[in-house]
Amino acid sequence: MRISMRMSQEAMPGTVRGRTRTSAGRAGAHRIRLARTLACGGAALLLGTSLTACGGGSGSDGKQEFHVLVYGDAGNKVEKSIVAEFNKTSKVKAVLDTIPGADYQQKLQTIINTPQAPDVFFNWGGGSIQPFVKAGLLMPLDDVFKDDPKIGDKFLPSVYNTAKIDGKAYGIPMRGTQPVLLFSNKKVLADAGTAAPKTWDDLLASVKKLKAKGVTPIALGGGDKWTTMMWFEYLYDRIAGPGLFEKAVGSDKSAWASPDSKAALAKMKQLVDAGAFGTNFDSVKFTDGGSPQLLASGKAGFELMGSWEYSTQKEASPDFTAKDLGYSTFPSVPGGKGDAADLVGNTNNFYSVMKKTKQPAAVAKFLKLMYSDSFVKAQLAIGNLPTTTNTADFVATSSDPAYAKYQLDLVSKAPSFQISWDQAYPPSAMTPIYQAIQEFTDGKTDADGFIKAMQALDAS
Amino acid sequence: MTSATSPAGPPAAGHSPAAAPQVPPPRAARARGGRAARGTARPGIVWALPAVVFFGLFALVPLVLVAVLSFTSWSGLGSPAFAGLANWTKLFDDPVLIQSLWLSVLLTGLGVVVQTPLSILIGVWSAGHQRGRAVLAAIFFVPLLLSVTAVSVLWRALLDPNFGVPAQARWLFGDGNLLGSRTGAIAVLVLVSAWQYTPLHSLIYQGATRAIPQVLYQAAAVDGAGRVRQFFHVTLPQLRNAVVTSVILMVVGGLTTFDSVLILTQGGPGTDTTITAFYMYDRAFKRFDYGTGAAVALLLVVVATAISLIVVRLSGYDRMRGTQEGVS
Repeated sequence: MRISMRMSQEAMPGTVRGRTRTSAGRAGAHRIRLARTLACGGAALLLGTSLTACGGGSGSDGKQEFHVLVYGDAGNKVEKSIVAEFNKTSKVKAVLDTIPGADYQQKLQTIINTPQAPDVFFNWGGGSIQPFVKAGLLMPLDDVFKDDPKIGDKFLPSVYNTAKIDGKAYGIPMRGTQPVLLFSNKKVLADAGTAAPKTWDDLLASVKKLKAKGVTPIALGGGDKWTTMMWFEYLYDRIAGPGLFEKAVGSDKSAWASPDSKAALAKMKQLVDAGAFGTNFDSVKFTDGGSPQLLASGKAGFELMGSWEYSTQKEASPDFTAKDLGYSTFPSVPGGKGDAADLVGNTNNFYSVMKKTKQPAAVAKFLKLMYSDSFVKAQLAIGNLPTTTNTADFVATSSDPAYAKYQLDLVSKAPSFQISWDQAYPPSAMTPIYQAIQEFTDGKTDADGFIKAMQALDAS
Repeated sequence: MTSATSPAGPPAAGHSPAAAPQVPPPRAARARGGRAARGTARPGIVWALPAVVFFGLFALVPLVLVAVLSFTSWSGLGSPAFAGLANWTKLFDDPVLIQSLWLSVLLTGLGVVVQTPLSILIGVWSAGHQRGRAVLAAIFFVPLLLSVTAVSVLWRALLDPNFGVPAQARWLFGDGNLLGSRTGAIAVLVLVSAWQYTPLHSLIYQGATRAIPQVLYQAAAVDGAGRVRQFFHVTLPQLRNAVVTSVILMVVGGLTTFDSVLILTQGGPGTDTTITAFYMYDRAFKRFDYGTGAAVALLLVVVATAISLIVVRLSGYDRMRGTQEGVS
């Protein structure tokens, strides 16, 4: 859910209540981006001159430094402070580079196998680094931390595990976790005489009641497609358990054709056919503030969204967030194999290490800061929820302690935390997944068509 | 306006007494003068060098590289591996690609059909000397000055089914599922590009209309033609070359449309608005399949060139004749 991450942390301040202000905010974000681009361009120029001047650079052996490449957005505040903290005591200096905005993955892909490649880089774990691992570009954490093989114990296992490829860990969690939750407008639910659903049947009953009241039962920004995908992810988990998807994304594509898979698809179809999302959801988007506004304005009862929905709503509709924004977990599906405590979403972002780094010792030292107290506090202060084992000690310092604690409990206790499908597969599979999801939800293809499309994905 | 071989002229306002006989002396002199000048000081090839180098470096070299890339398999990591015809055979079995070509042609065709009459009317109107014309013409021109991206973002917000115009006009838009249905999404794309590009074409027609000699209208008026007849029998025939120019611009622009699709529909719903240029982007830069992306790009070059050539041929753009023979 690259996009959503981006929206939650960068552009969302722009999506304020009014439609006109949305574009104004967007323009503001553009200006910021432009400024950033100019700054980066300037930095690149300077770097260029320094390259010719001293004949060294990111990959140079002469200089005592290593480069850390990060997705450029508001979260960089913490990364900057951590780098500054590291450089105070270290002889080998860390240099923070950011790629601003949208095309991080594309740009990473183009530089990662060149001399401009960083030593350490930001990623989403799972499929986002899988092609690099296959190409032999990354260093397993076992090799980075030879003296400290227990490094994984510093992090919540459900998160740490999502950056494992073929059983080897490649990523150190470095930002906040973002599970997908079922958000609701408590007032709308109360008016319709219903509440947050515990089971699938509760949900269907709520849908019926909300529909009778003339509101769209569930706000869905189908235009973004990953929003619709969240429903599939949870239904597959609740009905088939986390194993089915793991198998399917691994080597056993037949899992898509299993009875459990078909049952999950039938449930999804049932929900769409019941009018749960209304009829125009594919013209609505989350990323332009459309679906959050449906929920806040009382035109919809529920929205399934990543935990960033909270900050999005707080920014756009502070009154609603304080009074009526409810959140709960996805309902259980009776008879299903999945645990109702399972989560899906963005487990975290990760730092991975390039095999060809010249400063492995310094890099290891730098990465150990990612579970330091000051790191945890800095992340909590900007509203991120880190996934280190010591996070619980500081969760009260969060900008929204109750909400942070709620999430931390969920993430710590979740038997499984499924990384979003579009992140679990390599980036090349993203468009085909989105298309399959959308066409099935629109009724343009049936279950067999969906299964075929998912089986056609290139998993490796 | 060169050699007056046939006095075919426009089928203008009947027997215009002013038009027919007074052609020769100044024109002939001008033509001769021109020929003489060319004969004495013809610019050497050196003069063309900057343009040729520029074109070669930024158009031909990339084109050749794309052609090479289309026979390889490359994800951006490592070096491209030769893949033979694999990308190409894959493409021709790909229903999305075939559909994308049709969609490109459809969107281009709709663009021409919608924008041409509109821009002729606005252009002819704004060529006049009415009160307030300059102000209105300047306002009409504004969309052209905005970036496609900004325009697309704006229209997306305007067409939001719950908070935009469709929510206020349910009788017209129904549930407002414009971007979620095939026809709706295509209609939106056509509308937005018409809104943005009609001003450009209006400008072409405005200039062309202003270049029509008043004497033709005076003659027509003498013959008793009203404003409507003047429009159909003087203005439109005189605008023939402008129409050809404008249509060719529309065709070339339409076939390479990309940004509005990226922002408004992302090729969706499903693949319903995945036009060829967007499909190329999707293949190369989202799926990191540069080989197939290059093949799609090359195919687009070939198809767009072919269509443009056909339009040029059919419209007589290549042997464009003056529309004012017999008028001085």
